[in-house]
Amino acid sequence: MKFGGTSLANAARMKNAARIIQRYSPKNKVVVVASAIGNTTDQLTEIAELAKKGDLRRARKLLSKIQLSHRKIARIVAGRGETRELVAKIEQLNSELERTVEGIGHLRELTSRSRDYLLSFGESLSAPILAATLSAIGLRAQALTGAEAGIATDDNFGEAKPLIEISYHQVQQRLDPFLNRKMIPVVTGFIAATVDGSTTTLGRGGSDYTATLLAAALEADEIWIWTDVDGLMTADPRIVKNAAVLPNISFGEALELSYFGAKMMHPRALQPAGQKKIPVRIKNSSRPSKNGTLVSANESHNGGKVVKAVSIIRDVGIVTVSGSGMMGAPGVAAKVFQTLGSNNVNVMMISQGSSEATISCVVANRDVDRAVRALQLALMGQGYVDKITEEKDACIIAVVGSGMKGTPGVAARIFTAVARRKVNIRMVAQGSSEYNVSFVVSLKDGPEAVRAIHEEFNLGR
Amino acid sequence: MRIILAGFGTVGQALAQVLHQDADRIVQAYGFRPQLTTIVDSQGSCSDDTGLNIPLALKTKKEYGTVAKYPRQGHRNSDGTHLISNSEAEVVVETTPTNFKDAEPGLSNIKAALANGKHVVTANKGPLALAMPALLELANHRNRLLRFSGTVGGGTPFLDFAAKCMPGERIVRIRGILNGTTNYILTRMENASLTFEKALAEAQKKGYAERDPTNDVEGFDTAAKIVIIANWVLKKQYSLRNLDITGITKVTPQKLKEAKASRAKVKLVGRIEESSVSVAPEQVPTVDPTCVPDTLNALTFSTEHAGDITLIGPGAGGERTASAIVRDLVSIRQEYAA
Ligand SMILES: NC(=O)c1ccc[n+]([C@@H]2O[C@H](COP(=O)([O-])OP(=O)(O)OC[C@H]3O[C@@H](n4cnc5c(N)ncnc54)[C@H](OP(=O)(O)O)[C@@H]3O)[C@@H](O)[C@H]2O)c1
Repeated sequence: MKFGGTSLANAARMKNAARIIQRYSPKNKVVVVASAIGNTTDQLTEIAELAKKGDLRRARKLLSKIQLSHRKIARIVAGRGETRELVAKIEQLNSELERTVEGIGHLRELTSRSRDYLLSFGESLSAPILAATLSAIGLRAQALTGAEAGIATDDNFGEAKPLIEISYHQVQQRLDPFLNRKMIPVVTGFIAATVDGSTTTLGRGGSDYTATLLAAALEADEIWIWTDVDGLMTADPRIVKNAAVLPNISFGEALELSYFGAKMMHPRALQPAGQKKIPVRIKNSSRPSKNGTLVSANESHNGGKVVKAVSIIRDVGIVTVSGSGMMGAPGVAAKVFQTLGSNNVNVMMISQGSSEATISCVVANRDVDRAVRALQLALMGQGYVDKITEEKDACIIAVVGSGMKGTPGVAARIFTAVARRKVNIRMVAQGSSEYNVSFVVSLKDGPEAVRAIHEEFNLGR
Repeated sequence: MRIILAGFGTVGQALAQVLHQDADRIVQAYGFRPQLTTIVDSQGSCSDDTGLNIPLALKTKKEYGTVAKYPRQGHRNSDGTHLISNSEAEVVVETTPTNFKDAEPGLSNIKAALANGKHVVTANKGPLALAMPALLELANHRNRLLRFSGTVGGGTPFLDFAAKCMPGERIVRIRGILNGTTNYILTRMENASLTFEKALAEAQKKGYAERDPTNDVEGFDTAAKIVIIANWVLKKQYSLRNLDITGITKVTPQKLKEAKASRAKVKLVGRIEESSVSVAPEQVPTVDPTCVPDTLNALTFSTEHAGDITLIGPGAGGERTASAIVRDLVSIRQEYAA
């Protein structure tokens, strides 16, 4: 079970999390993964930036806020027996944290290594507090860092890559003894260490990734992600009033949804679960009796529905390269992608005109100018490209559902439904997977397109 | 090349002997001089950064039972991981006893070595049987070599044969007899009509079986070798837990007779098929080249185009295993100029 930051945000939420664990622990072997409390990680990021600029006054102020809130929660949640030990542990971490911030401030230098170390304090503080909360209600729990739990990574600080086999092996070695003694390991999410012990963070995927790695290592039966929503939705409820919670989706569908911006686990985090076919349940810690969404290897089509969800990515733009000379000129497409790649522009979608005279790429709004400049430099004046145009303020609409493969006419239904609402489709993605159809419309048309599809496929409650 | 030798029993001492005897030949042929700079046994260790005096170390071991008594540079410290982490040697040779429960102390020694950027040669199968994918990943991550020729077939190069002599060929099945002790017991049961217990006792008297024969007769030793072959040659990711293992303790003279009637012999066979790996006694036709007697080992690779290829050779043994270790040291030298 992994608890996200909002599910541990204050003493009451912390106790709530403990009660949830208590409810399931007698009949199951439970391993808990704790995120940093509330928005501690964001605050630590800010402290890092302040310290780097040498603004130690504001860094210290924010720091004492973090220290204070953790002290306060700790005092409330811990039972009489644990308070002293917990407070001592927290004070020890607090002073280590202070030293780290002072160090960065005085050197005015923030290496990715020291940044990871600084960020690790969020989870290092939350795990012992959650463990003490469990002890206070009579459960036997042990707080561990990700490294102590056995997760080893390379030294790519900021987004370290787990060494999968060695991690699996070590996790079994370290956690099995706790589970066999009926103890609940409470592991810090997000943070790990290199094989020689330097603290690293897992970057994108964060604590979810920790949870799926531990589960895969232990060959767990299920992974439960406790968060602040009821599960994955058929569409953004702010756009579609009758959007519903998806009862179940497959790993393939979940990957598409997370790629297309749904509030969902990062693809990196899904990978270990997908590989070992361990179902992931996403549940609301405020309403634990609700079923939530089950992500599994099972590609069932909820009541025969070919489409399961529609999502939207806003703030994208289209960059189009065109020129009659491109027809039959080999390697233009490769040059386009190479140029964008080496300029750190992430291409989210592509489409090539059937005459081969145009190539369109969808990129983030903020990357549009850079993409255009780079492409101009690389491609113009060589005879085959005449024009590089841009169009900002668009959005991608992604329609996801594993039932679409092998069901003819789904794309036609989608585009007809959208056209009926007088929405102009700017571009259709090519080579999209069999789980999704995606296309681009202008930003202002986005919500209407989402509603059109949601209605056409009857996705609502 | 500076070497830490963890474990100084049959194999460790044989290696020291070979390194000492062949030093000049190795320098001439391969251009490097392997030096033992640390030796560890269960009671202590001895270290000399300029290279230990091998005859003196062997003599000390023989006289006192431990290298801790090595003049001046002997210590009571036998903490392998500590010695490894604090040494400048380039290579660790792991020859401590095999243990299939937690693979210690070998597993910690190998992890410490790789984590500290040292190459590893192991004759100890335990760590590979339980954590081979993890150790290979760690070696790869650290850009170091983990070699283990001595773990399978002693001096007979089963592993190198498959990996080096058959590129491009698809191996569809591997099966073989990989444990000399059990093969000897089965041969004696048949030839002299002995019960399992009697044949085991005889093997123990002759020094072919250990006092605690569990690892051999229950099939664990064969299983460990099968894991190593499957992972190395066929790039699988197995550990001992993935195997179905049956030993030879339930084999009766009756079963041997039945086999004989159908022109076969009962052998403890390790098998790697497309999607299963197993160890169990089975009937092997006497005309099958895999059907070898006594303590011999045999391994048959069934290939897609080249047919069945069988390698036969003497199995384990101190000196033979030492020769496999030297082979690994040479290959490390050739790849890394260490
Ligand atoms: N013998 C073979 O033919 C053969 C063939 C292939 C592979 N192997 C493998 O090679 C390894 C060594 O075999 P072997 O026949 O040489 O065994 P061995 O004679 O029993 O030698 C084992 C050595 O390890 C030492 N040792 C035990 N515990 C230790 C510890 N905690 N720390 C440091 N050293 C420790 C022993 O110390 P003491 O001397 O103080 O007791 C001894 O020197 C085994 O894993 C075996 O399976 C053997």
